[in-house]
Amino acid sequence: MNRLRAIVLIAALFSGLLQAAELNVAVLVQDPAQASMQGDLLPSSTPGADLVAVTDELAREICRRINARCSFYYVPFAQILPGVEAGRFDLGFGNFLRAPEREKRVAYSDPLFRSSSRLIGTPTTASAFATQIGQPVSLASLRGARVAALEGSQQQAFLDGVAGERALIVLPTSTTAEALDVLRSNGADFALLPIRTGYALISRDKAQRFVFVGPAVTSHGLGDAAHIVLEKQKTALRRAVNRAIAEVKADGTFQRIMHRHFPISLD
Amino acid sequence: MATADNQHRPSAGKAFAILAGVFALLFGAVVALLAVTQHHVLDAAERLQRETVPEIIRFQRLARNLDQLNHEGERLFSSISAEERQQALFLVMLVASHPSILEHPQATAMARDTENYLIETNQLAARDPSMLRARYPEWQRISQRMHLLVDDISIEGANLATADLDDMASAMRAARLKLLGALALVGGFILLLFALLRQHLIRPLQRIDRALSSLDVEQPAPEFPDASLAEIHAVDEAARRLHKAMASNEAARRELELLANRDGLTGLINRRHFMAGAEAEIRRSQRYGRPIAVALGDLDSFKRLNDTYGHGAGDVVLRTFAELLSDSVRQSDLICRYGGEEFAFLFPESTVEQAHILVERFRQRFAEHDIRLPDGLLVRVTLSIGLADASHCPLEIALQRADFALYEAKRLGRNRVIVAADAD
Repeated sequence: MNRLRAIVLIAALFSGLLQAAELNVAVLVQDPAQASMQGDLLPSSTPGADLVAVTDELAREICRRINARCSFYYVPFAQILPGVEAGRFDLGFGNFLRAPEREKRVAYSDPLFRSSSRLIGTPTTASAFATQIGQPVSLASLRGARVAALEGSQQQAFLDGVAGERALIVLPTSTTAEALDVLRSNGADFALLPIRTGYALISRDKAQRFVFVGPAVTSHGLGDAAHIVLEKQKTALRRAVNRAIAEVKADGTFQRIMHRHFPISLD
Repeated sequence: MATADNQHRPSAGKAFAILAGVFALLFGAVVALLAVTQHHVLDAAERLQRETVPEIIRFQRLARNLDQLNHEGERLFSSISAEERQQALFLVMLVASHPSILEHPQATAMARDTENYLIETNQLAARDPSMLRARYPEWQRISQRMHLLVDDISIEGANLATADLDDMASAMRAARLKLLGALALVGGFILLLFALLRQHLIRPLQRIDRALSSLDVEQPAPEFPDASLAEIHAVDEAARRLHKAMASNEAARRELELLANRDGLTGLINRRHFMAGAEAEIRRSQRYGRPIAVALGDLDSFKRLNDTYGHGAGDVVLRTFAELLSDSVRQSDLICRYGGEEFAFLFPESTVEQAHILVERFRQRFAEHDIRLPDGLLVRVTLSIGLADASHCPLEIALQRADFALYEAKRLGRNRVIVAADAD
């Protein structure tokens, strides 16, 4: 009887160890000051701290649901996808939009929420450019402007693609907060950012200099669902993560996390 | 067994194989129809789950986002500080930028108009807060339009589900009808099968059972109605052949019995048969206290007749004697050729005196009867008889006493009847 009990205990221990996988998780930061810090120690005064908090809480909840012991790394956007591809990170929480070039490199989880992209700038700049191009400023009409975008993002990829024909100067930044800093220092005329990120940054800007300019866009790979990325060959992990996403959405955990940091829950 | 007559009749195996085949085809067709309906239901359910429900959720989100847009617009008008208005405006822009709104043309136009109106209102209010009141009626109209759009979108989403659910309910109703049809088909087939089994198998078998149970050679051959199945017809024929064989065997048995119990020359019963019958008759008479008598008769000088005229003449005398005797005694009397020219008699229900009259009359008749021999010669033969009462003694004793009386008749000069003295 004792021997049987020992076998059961050992089996339980081993199954627990096997299930409690060790995972390295990359969490997107919005400001350079947030990099290489612990999620619960992030200074709330830093730009985009709410966004990081949402991503961080969601990442921890997913880890808990898949019974994994996760180590969290707070890194700029441009490091996440190469890190996942190279195996340094098992999961990349960077709200990645789907793109053919990315699909070749990494796998995608099921959607987390839906997003779009929108230009940000000052009303003065927007008005000046409207006069210059003879029509209201939009992503489709914008010409001859300096536009900041997150390095490695779809926004940057889009701008790079049209920069030549529209005489645009693309200014990649490591974080979204830096993109706003460039705007503030008049180093750029506009920034093209994901709508949620843009909202988080300009609504917390005490000077309230910035507004959304032109309509939001989802075409050209600039909108629709945001995902977690992970290594292509880790199909079991992807299935587990997808189950966890379905669970947190079904039981309202996802919406509660959103509501803790945003006035509305847009999913 | 297959016969020429049976060739036009279907065998039971073939008939039931055809029935089973027809049933399998019909049932298979119904099952196939059910499968089609089930596939339809599954398709509708899958479409509902994979397409319609997500679509409904999208519509719900869109409606919720438009409501949120309306709510934030209302907040902008009710805010007292510029910062609050700006925050509300940021949220309006955030909601208006959501893909759920951007992918719906009417919602996009509505959100764009709302956003532009609110931006303009915010700019005017920054310079003159009273503009909020002035522009509020227009906002109410925009808000009303947005409410109507929300209603339309909600109904549109609900209609998606209604159409799919109607489709599914219709398929389910069709499935229920088909299922009832299948049940009716199975029930009908079982009834038909039972009726056919009863008509063509059970009832014919019952008739055959009754006929075989009461099969008797004394009864006429069984008659069966024309059977539809080859096997039943074959059994009917076999029962008829069996009855015919039984009748034939019975006739043969009777012939053999007759041959075994009769004397071949005279046609009278033989000694063994006489003894068995006489024993039984004496027991019966003695049980009921009825009179009975036995007699032994012997043709006088028969050996000399044989020696003189030959055995053929002897045979003629014996046959003539038997014929005459048969005409002279009662139906109930037993007479047998006891051996050679000796004959035994049994007279049931007759006292010795009554029997004496009978045998005496016969003795005289025989003695006066001319017998024509094969060569045309006429001869007369006499008969000696010993008679004894058998009412109170066993057959053997009665015969022994009759034999003594016969011997006495011979000794006293032949051609006479001597009655044995009563035994004491």
